[in-house]
Amino acid sequence: MRRAEWIGTRWLGVGLAAILAVVTLGLAVTGRLALYINPDSTWFAVSMSVVVLVGAAASFMLPLGAEADHGHDHPVVERAQRDETPAPTRAYPVVERAQRDETPAHPHHHPRHPAAVAASVVGGVAASGVVVLTLVLPPASLSAELAMSRDVGATPLFAGADAVTLAATGDTSSFGVGEWATVFATATNPDAFDGDPIELTGFVTPGEGGDFDLTRLVVTHCVIDAQPASVPVAGEPIPETGQWVTVTGTVRATSDGRLEIDAASVAEIPEPKDPYEY
Amino acid sequence: MTRTDLRPVAAPSRPARSLVALSIGAAVVAALFVIDAVAPTLFPASLPTRAQDGLTLAISVLIESMPFVALGVVLSIVVQVWVPPGVIERWMPRRAWARRAVLSLLGMVVPVCECGNVPFARGLLMRGFSVPETMTFLIAAPIVNPIVIITTHQAFGFSDGILIARLVGGYLIANLIGWLYSRHPSPNGLLTERFRDTCALVVHEPGGRGRRSLAQFVIELRAVMPALVIGSALAGAVQVLIPREALVAIGSNPALSIVAMMALAMVVAICSNVDSFFALSFASTFTPGAIVAFLLVGPLVDVKMLALMRTTFTTRTLAGIVVVVLLSAFAIGTVVNLLA
Repeated sequence: MRRAEWIGTRWLGVGLAAILAVVTLGLAVTGRLALYINPDSTWFAVSMSVVVLVGAAASFMLPLGAEADHGHDHPVVERAQRDETPAPTRAYPVVERAQRDETPAHPHHHPRHPAAVAASVVGGVAASGVVVLTLVLPPASLSAELAMSRDVGATPLFAGADAVTLAATGDTSSFGVGEWATVFATATNPDAFDGDPIELTGFVTPGEGGDFDLTRLVVTHCVIDAQPASVPVAGEPIPETGQWVTVTGTVRATSDGRLEIDAASVAEIPEPKDPYEY
Repeated sequence: MTRTDLRPVAAPSRPARSLVALSIGAAVVAALFVIDAVAPTLFPASLPTRAQDGLTLAISVLIESMPFVALGVVLSIVVQVWVPPGVIERWMPRRAWARRAVLSLLGMVVPVCECGNVPFARGLLMRGFSVPETMTFLIAAPIVNPIVIITTHQAFGFSDGILIARLVGGYLIANLIGWLYSRHPSPNGLLTERFRDTCALVVHEPGGRGRRSLAQFVIELRAVMPALVIGSALAGAVQVLIPREALVAIGSNPALSIVAMMALAMVVAICSNVDSFFALSFASTFTPGAIVAFLLVGPLVDVKMLALMRTTFTTRTLAGIVVVVLLSAFAIGTVVNLLA
């Protein structure tokens, strides 16, 4: 029984951490880590994963159960002492030290409450399940449905005012959907952008202004903060929602003062390897 | 190494045995790499879209926060095993409130974000820092740290006092919680029984520093990893289950918007060093006070942090912390709305 507990300790701690480190390194080596986190922090994720794996391999040198082996004198705080809450006489900053030294020094294992044991077993199984799925399932990107459910109507201002300033100077060649969405939402002088050539890749979502919206998820740090950015497109044919496309065309100022993309061509493509913008 | 020599059993073949154990460890790690490479081809993705999205989100939080947790564990080992007794304590003021005030600025020099703070804080507790002091550090560090200050400034500048309100608010909430719990008759009663056992163990861990470091590595990962995984899974699940419109719909009402943004902060579980960019996209629809409340609540008591903190503090204590944080954030948000 104790042996099972020790193995559980290793599995739930070092084991889960090692699997996640292996998954991280595996993704990094195959160039797919960007499916989950911003490439800017790859170096940190990779180096800490190596630390975890070195520690995991080294932890085999520690005999099983040694981390719970309290040696010769192990003053586990007595149960009675814990449950009697008062004891106001203890000096405040050194409460723990004092308490430890007061306690008699002999091994003492008190049984944990069955509900607590059950809770940690259930939690352990659930955590193991998630981590094992992480290991055995291929990586995936977020679906178009999720992107739409995250669209709350407000345009995220990823690049801030810089994008608009930059756009006004005419250098928009490096712009993705995120930057253009910012420009479209914040440009005070739409005519300045009229006629800019554009080639953008994203997936199709139902449009409000144009015929459809070209949408891309923009990630700041990791995929959980991914937010949709979209630009309205006017053009035929209208592909299915969720279909990845490359739109080539020009920016056009509409008569009511908004900007949209006048598509010369809408080419359907498979999902790109880097589905997010950063 | 003198301490190892004092051990009663000195097996002569010890280095050899360690080498064998290390090789086994390396072999297991190598086997994991093989599984990682081969398994996905055997199990083609066939999860329903929602489940897959939830899993993708959970994995992204895991991959993002795992390095910080690992760093936190390493720092915790350093604090617990390698820094000689008295070195940190010598620099600390004597008075309790002053100690807490200093500890709440420790985040400025310790480079871990909120997930890594939990193992680090456990290291502080094991070292003998009191419970309220450690709590103060734990609550302040995710907000009062250089990276968060820089990213919040990038996102909001000084407009509407959002940056100032966030920093001062975080600092005050942390010290308020530290003060409240310092009045608790038995600070140790705030900790889970399991953690108290662990404390008692590690302090008396036998063996040299290397061995104690390894033991601490095993113990800390065991404590933090399941909580991290479950917290991330919850964060992922909540994202695909609760429609964001439901929260945003209550948007621009001064009081309700604060409540809505606090609820959003608790469920989205975004790292404190990027949450200001996330909040920026709500700035046009929500009041500045609501944004401040979001930026205060998220780093302190989101679902992932609660799962992590539960490794150390009792449910009752966490409920207390959540109530204090929510009330304070609401109050600060309201003040910002009145002033802005």
